[in-house]
Amino acid sequence: MEIALLFGMVIGLMLIGVPIAMSLGLSSILFLLWFSDSSMASIAQTLFEAFEGHFTLLAIPFFILASSFMSTGGVAQRIIRFSIACVGHFRGGLAIAGVFACMMFAALSGSSPATVVAIGTIVIAAMKQAGYTKEFAAGVICNAGTLGILIPPSIVMVVYAAAVEVSVGRMFLAGVIPGLMAGLMLMIAIYVMARIKDMPAGEFAGFGEIFAAFRDAAWGLLLIVIIMIGIYGIPGVTGAIFTPTEAAAVASMYAFFVACFIYRDMGPLRTKDGERLALYQNPKAIVTAFFHKDTRQTLFDAGKLTVTLMFVIANALILKHVLTDEQIPQKLTQMLLDAGFGPVMFLVIVNIILLIGGQFMEPSGLLVIVAPLVFPIAIELGIDPIHLGIIMVVNMEIGMITPPVGLNLFVTSGVANMPMMAVVKAALPFLAVLFVFLIMVTYIPAISTFLPNLVMGPELIVN
Amino acid sequence: ACDDGEMVIKFSHVTNTDKHPKGIAASLLEERVNAEMNGKACMEVFPNSTLYNDNKVLEAMLQGDVQLAAPSLSKFETFTKQFRIFDLPFMFANVEAVDTFQNSDAGQAMLDSMQKRGLQGLEFWHNGMKQMSASKPLITPADASGLKFRVQPSDVLVAQMEAIGGSPQKMAFSEVYGALQQGVVDGQENTWSNIFGKKFFEVQDGITETNHGIIDYLVVTSVDWLDSLDADVRDQFLTILDEVTQVRNAESTQTNEAAKADIIAAGGEIRQLTDEQRQAWIDAMKPVWTKFEGDVGKENIEAAQKANAMVN
Amino acid sequence: MTEDRSFFDTIEETIISVLLGLMTILTFANVVARYVFNSNILWALELTVFMFAWLVLLGASYAVKKTAHLGVDAILNLVSPATRRILGLMAAFACVSFAFLMFKGAWDYWANFANLPQTEGRWFPLGFEESFRGKGWYEVNDIPVPEAMKFLEGLLNDGDEYEKMPRAVPYMVLPLSMGLLLFRTLQVTWKIYTGEKDMLIVSHEAEEAVEEAAQQAKGT
Ligand code: NA
Ligand code: NA
Repeated sequence: MEIALLFGMVIGLMLIGVPIAMSLGLSSILFLLWFSDSSMASIAQTLFEAFEGHFTLLAIPFFILASSFMSTGGVAQRIIRFSIACVGHFRGGLAIAGVFACMMFAALSGSSPATVVAIGTIVIAAMKQAGYTKEFAAGVICNAGTLGILIPPSIVMVVYAAAVEVSVGRMFLAGVIPGLMAGLMLMIAIYVMARIKDMPAGEFAGFGEIFAAFRDAAWGLLLIVIIMIGIYGIPGVTGAIFTPTEAAAVASMYAFFVACFIYRDMGPLRTKDGERLALYQNPKAIVTAFFHKDTRQTLFDAGKLTVTLMFVIANALILKHVLTDEQIPQKLTQMLLDAGFGPVMFLVIVNIILLIGGQFMEPSGLLVIVAPLVFPIAIELGIDPIHLGIIMVVNMEIGMITPPVGLNLFVTSGVANMPMMAVVKAALPFLAVLFVFLIMVTYIPAISTFLPNLVMGPELIVN
Repeated sequence: ACDDGEMVIKFSHVTNTDKHPKGIAASLLEERVNAEMNGKACMEVFPNSTLYNDNKVLEAMLQGDVQLAAPSLSKFETFTKQFRIFDLPFMFANVEAVDTFQNSDAGQAMLDSMQKRGLQGLEFWHNGMKQMSASKPLITPADASGLKFRVQPSDVLVAQMEAIGGSPQKMAFSEVYGALQQGVVDGQENTWSNIFGKKFFEVQDGITETNHGIIDYLVVTSVDWLDSLDADVRDQFLTILDEVTQVRNAESTQTNEAAKADIIAAGGEIRQLTDEQRQAWIDAMKPVWTKFEGDVGKENIEAAQKANAMVN
Repeated sequence: MTEDRSFFDTIEETIISVLLGLMTILTFANVVARYVFNSNILWALELTVFMFAWLVLLGASYAVKKTAHLGVDAILNLVSPATRRILGLMAAFACVSFAFLMFKGAWDYWANFANLPQTEGRWFPLGFEESFRGKGWYEVNDIPVPEAMKFLEGLLNDGDEYEKMPRAVPYMVLPLSMGLLLFRTLQVTWKIYTGEKDMLIVSHEAEEAVEEAAQQAKGT
């Protein structure tokens, strides 16, 4: 009963407009003061521990920063050019290219809204020009953008790994096959719709354009290689080089370097008239790039995003601490096991909880709270923790494109300049695709576990 | 769950509840307290770092948010540097020597050595002797040179790894298995039960039976909490704790031997050292003693050596 | 950004940028040290983590000032302006309560590490405790104590030498940031009361961000 009060309080506060972070924090504090003997100091300790005790969460600001440099540094439009060169000539080609571009950007960025902003800003306008309806364009990008958290790297996966103490590297690998599958399913759905409705096809610009576009985008795409080889190594050639957190920091430095010195879309080598200088024309750029106003602005934007996201996560960790302190996860596990739930029913319940929770909560914060509640039950029922993690991530994806709260909906309505309810309607057909995908992922564990088990051996389960 | 009117004893630790020597001991203690002190006291165990990790649990204890914990001995080095003796390489011949030392006057005095900081040591719990593992065979100390070793955060262990030319590294425990497998770090040191429990043997070339150090735990509580108990409750609780300690410590060697056998059965490679080879490791690591002699105290080192002599 | 930046905005924004930049460079440097010099900056990870905490905790009050915190505006957008103002004031009161209780908790936690008394009272601070055990001797795990902080030995550790930085230093951000948060939440409550603002959470920021991105995209 107490737990219903706690969650009622969280939701009530959120609905009257209290920031999510403070709704979580205040409810936890009040719960602790009413029902427990623990000190107020333990709340402050837990707040600090969100950073001090979870080295894995440190990857988050670095992935955000890498993504910011990639967005401002002109990587997105080079990826889009390459996508269009590859698949633009199919019926519905520009839409398919949009999905393909989202998939590639997702492999550089850890966040879904960032993917929508980076790709959607350019692609939606281009699609309108090519004769697609605005609704169709928005629906496509809004959905494809959710791949940002399924295709590694992924901030949501980092949060899950930190919350239940599994390996981040393992989670990232687990997202590869589902990410490619979901992308492919979206593309097929678009192709079918395009044939039925006779949507426009672009012209094939030739292999020369594919090659040229690839060469131009290669510096950006190389980041995928750096992250993947950095974390996993090349079998038989080299071992891994860094931890996932270090990979994120290296990715940020690399993205900064590419943006300032190779693409020169930002930083001291770009003149006011948009010209790109060679380094010998402005050699002191090597130093000034670090302090250039574009760099400072990107650092600040990424920092601000880190602040708002991590403050939610830190307060969700306070809630988690209070729940643990009152032994709620144990009680819940006992209750569900006593009720005789098997793995199938259990996963249905998890899906429902997450889909409903996703209506109110920012995905990472929701994950921090739900994961420790359902994790012990999943272990008891013999569900693989990595599989559970992917199920959660796919649920979060769906939460992002369903009203009333869906980060991708907000962002897309901004990008496409249309009312949110129109975006909701536009996203609906593709949402059905994601639902089918969710059912597949939920009941076919191998989709998630095949690759990590192949590369890293079976997950060891320690109670 | 605890009934109204029962005093709640929260015990926070960082291992599983049924396979690790510490987890098993904690579960046994919980069972006995809840059965025998029913109505007076009730113990809630929080395993797997769900409530606090080792770095925070002592802070929480001084705040009064948790009553019992059993961190590894190196965690007490911040409280009093004497505890560094347990991390010094080749200080103890075997677990019996550790036990003898802990039960000597010098060892028992260490239980009380943190009272001014607010902590009271109650019992030592054994895990076992540490072994070394790496991505290549470790026969001589030179084999370890240039390798990256994951260590617990302790200045002594850092110095020990540097003494054999290794590079000590810190990382989150959940990443250690993956890091070993993929070569972010090359090696680690641990007891048989930890190596088996975390399956490190799967991702290492082999384990060398060095017995170069120990991992042990101190069951600890806060002075203020212990003082606040009624004398009869305190005595009953401490008696149960002592009995659990006797039972479990007697089993710890067996637990580790069983883990060692399990590793072999699972196909893990275990390498023995000849006396001369082991001596080379001693010669390489023992200079570390000098650096920390002032911290741990000459008399403690002497007591430890006396304990070694007694069990041999 | 359309708003003029005040002097304090500049300070806060600089702190956010600089901390994130330093965190990245330090982590990168540690990787380089490991592969190029086969050594390891042992304290790099701990220092990075502390900078991370300072970044987010100090940034939280900035985000209140700039209405940047994430929230649910579905209901606020449905109701009349008058109702919105009332809900806004209720929400603001909740935020002030949060900041106030957090400030008390943060002080209680940090105080002992700085050999200062905690507050008495469970909900409200009812004065300071008279006897307590100082924890000024408590050190962090890895970061050595810089020469400039040696004076703390006399202040917090009875003149005993520190090998590592005392925990009081990184934890200081807790009361500092929560105090700032209390100030900012009070300030925003006043603004909602006077009608200068109507909510505490980001509403259409996504659209602004998109506009900015669109500007950049056009410019390239
Ligand atoms: Na991604
Ligand atoms: Na939603």
